[in-house]
Amino acid sequence: MFRTSLRQTSRAFNLVARRTYAEAAATGGLKLNFSLPHEALYENVSVTQVNIPAVSGVSGILANHVPTIEELGSGVVDVIEGSGVKKSFFVSGGVATVQPGSKLSITAVEAFPVDAFSPEAIKAKLAEAQKNVTSADAEVAAEAAIQVDVLTALQAVAK
Amino acid sequence: MFARAGVNAARTVGMQSRNYATLREIEMRLKSIKNIEKITKTMKIVASTRLGRAQKAMALSRVYDEADSEVYTHAESAKVEQPAEPKSLIIAVSSDKGLCGSIHSQIGKATKKILAEKPTADVVVVGDKIKAQVQRSNSESIVLAFNGTGKAAPTFVEASLIADEILKLQAQKKYDSVEILYNKFVSSVSFAPTAKNLYNEETIKQSKGLSAYELDEDSNVPVAMSEFSLANSLLVAMAEGHAAEISARRNAMDNASKNAGEMINKYSILYNRTRQAVITNELVDIITGASSLD
Repeated sequence: MFRTSLRQTSRAFNLVARRTYAEAAATGGLKLNFSLPHEALYENVSVTQVNIPAVSGVSGILANHVPTIEELGSGVVDVIEGSGVKKSFFVSGGVATVQPGSKLSITAVEAFPVDAFSPEAIKAKLAEAQKNVTSADAEVAAEAAIQVDVLTALQAVAK
Repeated sequence: MFARAGVNAARTVGMQSRNYATLREIEMRLKSIKNIEKITKTMKIVASTRLGRAQKAMALSRVYDEADSEVYTHAESAKVEQPAEPKSLIIAVSSDKGLCGSIHSQIGKATKKILAEKPTADVVVVGDKIKAQVQRSNSESIVLAFNGTGKAAPTFVEASLIADEILKLQAQKKYDSVEILYNKFVSSVSFAPTAKNLYNEETIKQSKGLSAYELDEDSNVPVAMSEFSLANSLLVAMAEGHAAEISARRNAMDNASKNAGEMINKYSILYNRTRQAVITNELVDIITGASSLD
């Protein structure tokens, strides 16, 4: 527990340290590649900041972030575009990599704008998944557990 | 028995002398070629309409793949030394349907070439056509076979279902190197069988360039990366293969329609000429008959 809090503080610290670094750097900004198997949401678009729901905790990525690879859990990817407009996408999972040279690649299996979800449908699905968690069939139970994870994360953001 | 043979011989002689039968034969042949032309033309049109969709899916999957594989280029995963005798797995991706030129045989040839170099390698085949090809020469190498893909543009669900099975296999056999063989779509008239290397978690961990990245030790990123990449690469291979197949089918059917057209022309001329000859012969018969009465 101490370790995670330590990590988070160090992360936050890094973020602050890098924020100044980013501002000092040329205004090239962060190049974002956000792609799904069936759609490319962003292809080499310059953005200001991207928040990603990594498994190890939510983190914000600015220009000149240190290269890193993060596994994404289910959660919201916030993209703050150059003009200051913020767009939120809910992803079910994926991988985010910061490449050397201020380039962020996010590959997710599915991503939809947060306001495209219907809260009623989520509630119904969640109830069904919760029922299946206790199933005797291990496979069904595992699938349901993942569903519950994703749906609770989704329920928290979709309004 | 001899009597029957004699009858048959008599019949053939009779047919040749009368000419009517050959006329009917030509007519039937002409009709069947016309039917074939109709089929190939329709198949060409279907392939043309599907090509656009397939190419779009392929372009998207390429973007997706680039984002995914950039890490490996930076991490220099390709330079990691392999064991002296690596256990290899070849995933040959093609499809179930034929009538598309040399698409499947190219992959088959490429697979056999690799198998000649690495006789101990295992093969996973995706698609019935490639399965049949590999089975002919290296049936004992096939460990897993899939079919039913490639009817429409491939989806991530298909890719991850296949990846799931391959991961189960990987857990058992611990392959050192995994490569995917697929047809890369080069242009609408050409394709090239291409091999793509996949990296397992060990290779990713040993990659020199990986130290440039900040990694979370606890969350076991290399495992997630290698599993995710497998599904992604399969998707790309299937999407490229699908686009290549559709465009090859369009070209093959275009050629077939052209050939059928040529044959139809040839046979129509032959048919008309024979018909005229038959009519002339009949006229000659009638006139000779009539003049003999005088």
